[in-house]
Amino acid sequence: MNLVSRLLRKNLSTAQTLGFILSNFIGLAIVVTGLQFYEDVSAIWQKEDSFLKTDYLVVNKKVTSGNTLGQSKSTFTDGEISDISGQPWVRSVGRFTAADYRVSAALDNGGRSLSTFMFFESIPDNYLDINPMQWQYREGSGEVPIIISKDYLTLYNFGFAASAGLPQLTEQMLSSIPMRLHIAANDGTRQADFRGRVVGFSNRLNTILVPEAFMTWSNREFGSGVTPPSSRLVIDVSSPGDVAIDKYLEAHDLESAGDKSASQASFLLNVVTGIIMAVGAVITVLSLFILMLSISLLMQKNRAKLHSLLQLGYDPGRVGAPYRNIVIISSAVAFLLAVVAMSLFRFYYIGAIEGLGGASGNLWLAPGVGMLLTAVIITFNLLAVRRKVVSAWRL
Amino acid sequence: MTPTLPFQHIDKIEILRALPRVFRDTRPESEIWLTDLALSRPDYYMVEAESGTGKSSLCAYLYGSRTDYLGSILFNGTDASSLSLMQWQEIRRRHIAYLPQELDLFPELSALENIRIKNDLTGYADEAQIHSWLERIGLGDRKDFPVGKMSIGQQQRVAIIRSICQPFDFILLDEPVSHLDFRNNRIAAEIIEAEAQRNDASIIATSVGNKLSISSSKLLKL
Repeated sequence: MNLVSRLLRKNLSTAQTLGFILSNFIGLAIVVTGLQFYEDVSAIWQKEDSFLKTDYLVVNKKVTSGNTLGQSKSTFTDGEISDISGQPWVRSVGRFTAADYRVSAALDNGGRSLSTFMFFESIPDNYLDINPMQWQYREGSGEVPIIISKDYLTLYNFGFAASAGLPQLTEQMLSSIPMRLHIAANDGTRQADFRGRVVGFSNRLNTILVPEAFMTWSNREFGSGVTPPSSRLVIDVSSPGDVAIDKYLEAHDLESAGDKSASQASFLLNVVTGIIMAVGAVITVLSLFILMLSISLLMQKNRAKLHSLLQLGYDPGRVGAPYRNIVIISSAVAFLLAVVAMSLFRFYYIGAIEGLGGASGNLWLAPGVGMLLTAVIITFNLLAVRRKVVSAWRL
Repeated sequence: MTPTLPFQHIDKIEILRALPRVFRDTRPESEIWLTDLALSRPDYYMVEAESGTGKSSLCAYLYGSRTDYLGSILFNGTDASSLSLMQWQEIRRRHIAYLPQELDLFPELSALENIRIKNDLTGYADEAQIHSWLERIGLGDRKDFPVGKMSIGQQQRVAIIRSICQPFDFILLDEPVSHLDFRNNRIAAEIIEAEAQRNDASIIATSVGNKLSISSSKLLKL
């Protein structure tokens, strides 16, 4: 060790340095592990339904005998929609637009032809989490992308096909077979044929979805010219676990489609992860101050020596070097230990998560955040070291 | 190393209407304070002072470690107060050598290490040269002795050797021989003078009583 380091490391407290490494390690380990766990777990839901974010809710009015008898309507009025928009747990509301014409679809499968009446609906594109390249429609184009409810395929395969002696279809087959669509105006004046292409199956959208651009165009082309009111809404919910949502739906005779447990679980996961990360972050910040304090104390004790070295003509950078090394090395050790701890923990839980259908999440995000925090700690402390050295210029 | 200073050497130090701030309300009788004075290389100057007249302050102003003065100090016409921290460090390594009155040695290091810590920085003297200086000044057998356990007189000699381990245009010696006997005073003066001549440099020595035995020098009363 050179003379300068030997002089300036005197009074270095091993206990304080280890104390910093330990607390920094604990803080970083909590942050990094929590974040990695979140990444891995949330992969489960992302895989489940990739078209609709978990905090979107699809709601419709409950069907009552009044609807059936034509006394009350199952569509939403503008007043009802603005009432929903005004709820504190709502970020935004999107309307389902129904097609104002008749649609029939035919599938050719190995020489046999299947044909059925069906319907189309659309929602604003920004509510769908799908690659826009797959989900675009240009006016006049003969090809229409479609998203179908997974339940329809299940109904067909296990209810209808089995009993009617028809072949069962896989998602892949259905996506690869072109569907012939026949659209006709309700008054029979205009009609046209299209090719339908199934781009996906959704768990949480109980409908047959086409791009909004196609819906706008086709309603103008084949519809009666009157915009039909929406019977379903998609709601972007700010806190999916909120009991106020259920209460509101109950009070207004509304029901939400699909399984809500995923959105509630993901909301809980967000909250829990948020708390854990906050605790980790607080510990990390505290460890930053521990290091800053112990380095400052050490430099204060050695202030006369710092002054003497500056008097001899040593540059401040050179005089601060031993302290910079302490800061950088101990922070790096804490960071590496935290990543090791995270990897060990992950090794134990990843099997369980994969068993639940999750895949491994992003492996770079959590260590990246840890590295960022470490960089912040190092930067703050290096600035403090520099300031302390320069302040020793005058005794 | 990139030269950051606007001059190669300091040939002239001007002290213009300078006065320590604490003396603001007094008008001291002095040949330095509140006058226009030029110190030129390679002349020798003896600053004679009574204690409390600002002798160590003057040294600290010339060495950049204090700025609590009125007036101005110029190095080759460059205002000292305009110099950056890095420029001062360059001056301390190459242009102004300084022996502070309080010596500023590291008590836990040996005599030799105290000298090396300066010489490592400047690479000025070789090992043999340092040993020969220590022999001459009577510390040949004390080289590896921790400075903290030496007498003040011995410490003063270590600090003298350390102060000349660099190139310089001016050497500032603040009461360099206050604790030396006549013989050691003469030896120290010879060594310092030889280095000053080698560097074509000025000596500025202060004293309250015991004067450094250098040859002809201008006497300035502080």
